[in-house]
Amino acid sequence: MIRRRVVQIIPVIVLATFVVFGLLQLVPGDIAVTLAGDNATDARIAQIRQSYGLDRPFLVQYGTWLWNAMHLDLSRSYLSNEPVFDQIMHRFPVTLLIVGSALALSLIIGVPFGILAATRPGSFLDTAVTSVASLGVALPNFWLAMILVATFALSWNWFPATGAVALSRSPSQALLHATLPAIALAASGVATVVQQLRSALIEILSSQYVRTLHAKGLSPAAILWQHGLKNVSVTLLTVVGLLVNRLLGATVVVEAVFAIPGMGSLIVHAAVHKDFPVVQGVVLSMVVIVILLNLLIDILYTVLDPRVALK
Amino acid sequence: MTHSIDGLDRRAFLALVGAAPLAVTEARAQATPKRGGVLKVSAPSNPSSLDPTTGGAGSDHVFLYTMFDTLVAFDYATLQPVPGLAESWSYPDDTTLVLNIRPGVLFHDGTPCDAEAVKANFDRNRFDERSNVKPDLATVADVTVTGPQQVTLKLKQPDTALPLILSDRAGMMSSPKAFKELGRGHDRAPVGAGPWKFVSWADNERIVVTRFDQYWQPGKPYLDGIELQVIPEVNTGLRSVIAGQNDFVYFLSPQQKTVIDRAKNLTSVTGPTLYCVLLYMNWGRPPLNDVKVRQALNYGVNREEFNQATMNGLSEPAGITLPSAHWAFDAAMAKRYPYDPDKAKALLAEAGYKDGLDLLALGYTDQRHIQRQEVLIEQYRKVGIRLKFQNGTIPEMTNAYMVEKKGDLYLSAWTGRPDPSQTYQLMFAAGSFYNTSRVEAVPEIGPALLETRRYADIPSRKKAFAGLQKIVTENALLVPLVFQWELDAHGPRVKNFKPNLLGKPKFENVYLEG
Repeated sequence: MIRRRVVQIIPVIVLATFVVFGLLQLVPGDIAVTLAGDNATDARIAQIRQSYGLDRPFLVQYGTWLWNAMHLDLSRSYLSNEPVFDQIMHRFPVTLLIVGSALALSLIIGVPFGILAATRPGSFLDTAVTSVASLGVALPNFWLAMILVATFALSWNWFPATGAVALSRSPSQALLHATLPAIALAASGVATVVQQLRSALIEILSSQYVRTLHAKGLSPAAILWQHGLKNVSVTLLTVVGLLVNRLLGATVVVEAVFAIPGMGSLIVHAAVHKDFPVVQGVVLSMVVIVILLNLLIDILYTVLDPRVALK
Repeated sequence: MTHSIDGLDRRAFLALVGAAPLAVTEARAQATPKRGGVLKVSAPSNPSSLDPTTGGAGSDHVFLYTMFDTLVAFDYATLQPVPGLAESWSYPDDTTLVLNIRPGVLFHDGTPCDAEAVKANFDRNRFDERSNVKPDLATVADVTVTGPQQVTLKLKQPDTALPLILSDRAGMMSSPKAFKELGRGHDRAPVGAGPWKFVSWADNERIVVTRFDQYWQPGKPYLDGIELQVIPEVNTGLRSVIAGQNDFVYFLSPQQKTVIDRAKNLTSVTGPTLYCVLLYMNWGRPPLNDVKVRQALNYGVNREEFNQATMNGLSEPAGITLPSAHWAFDAAMAKRYPYDPDKAKALLAEAGYKDGLDLLALGYTDQRHIQRQEVLIEQYRKVGIRLKFQNGTIPEMTNAYMVEKKGDLYLSAWTGRPDPSQTYQLMFAAGSFYNTSRVEAVPEIGPALLETRRYADIPSRKKAFAGLQKIVTENALLVPLVFQWELDAHGPRVKNFKPNLLGKPKFENVYLEG
């Protein structure tokens, strides 16, 4: 399975980077004008276009990038002249910490409430949990982020309003900086986990084999922990996979609100200025991350449900 | 001919004399600056480069000023030239400029900033393939070292704009040893002769500089260092100062003044700048090749209303491309186009557009610019001009208007230049990038531009600029709208920050308390 997935990665990467590169070409604007700066002249712009190879045909530019990428050279940013690989390696841990924290919060809060709601369907608690979950899905994360900043950073001074600190520099400061962004991101994650877990668990708990387990005299707790949750774990795993993909995308907005130097702000800045080596590098790394994550989830499926491996 | 650098006109002189007692009182009242502490600044954009020669963005200067001193400095209030690394200069004849370099100045790597170093900088700025400042030095024919601390520039034509041009990128001196050894690496590890030296630059994240102990100005700088955190979203930048994470934020929008006033721990700083919000015009083709249409556009806009509606009242209505605080300001020309919708309609009718005129303008997508567009659309509707906007990001629209020649008008801004002749040259000269038609609107522009660079003393230059401004204004070559005031905010620790007319903050006088 792993070999098959690795082989699948190649066309996906080529297609994704080609589409993004093509879209960037369609967007109006010229990075040579940006690079020429306030003293731009037509001659200087033409010189920059030539020296950066921007005057070459579309396919030649893309082909050169792809060839270099195949040799593990992601090129340099047109704007900063920094190696793209270094930029990604510098920023990815920041985004990973926020996404990881948001995911952890989603599971830590979402799973217990999902179980509580599923085991008491129709109760006041179930109604309250599902209502709050609906609200969590509906809340825009940028709005929540600003409310969190206004309350916990500006009014009460509990958390920093902006920035990020690397885990390697100071774990406590890194977590302190990541808390508010992670909460802002986690709101919809919690809601998703609650909703998915509740509906899956209700379905399992009302199935015939659970009725049989009741008839055998097993306690409701034993049925829930030994049979219900084990069966629902595959659904939960699927939710986690989808959630990570969504959280990676949502960081673009949250990073802007908190001025976090992560992958989201990197790709936005690069895309606006048509810094295509950076855009391509980030897209490439995101595609690899998502594919590797899906691969990991597929492997975990086989651990949780051996029938998947047999298929 | 020899000209004094202190060529103040009568009005400026009297203003200085009148202000002297006040300055003494203020000086007594001011506390002694304290040394120490690191100033934390929220900066709205990442530098394009930290090498003044190879960078290009107007927003770079705030970073560059910390590490680079210029050959000529400028007076904060009027932008008149004052000595910098060059302690004096003179024009022995029309086409010779002699710069006397201040002795004892060192670069951050310990090498001397002498005449040889200055010549090496000129040579690099003029000939390096990656230099973005070549146009600034286009009139320089030859640079020779005429003494250990003296450099002589032979010019192709009279050019008295050079002293102020040397207060910009072209006058920022880098260590020749550093740029020769580092090559392209000097972009990201610059070595200047400014008050602070470079420590680190994490791209789009943070730039750190620290005190240069051998700085030539005794007792300066006051700050041990500066950390500039890149926060592109200005609302987030302001929040970082309210939360106490940063001490200072600049380039705020006028709408944020209310937020600053509401925050108890913040002080707002405002001041006039050269930053002019305006409508560029393509006069190279119909309908804007007709001066009557261009004049109608100038009569048809209510600048004061625009100021109140879109700038929170924090700007100065603009009649010409220079604000009233500038030494070359011409009050008569600034009043040339009062708001007069009837006159605008009449001019349009004379131009053959009795039933109105459709114009395509390019602009930006953000909320502030959309608001400006809505006000203009409504104001022009009243005089029969149907304005339609096509919007995008700044890089997209600059390319669309200036390179692809799309649209009749472009609602954007002009950030200003230290010498006003640069502004006129870049906006109106034939072939200039910011003149999207690439042709001269009227043939008188060229000679009038040359005239502004012929005289070294301020009164004569002011007179020459009045002539040029008259040509530009009578021909209505753009629609200046307002000069946006600088708006900065800082926390209680920050003392002695003064805005400057260029609108790009300098921290050389700032100190921290508490």
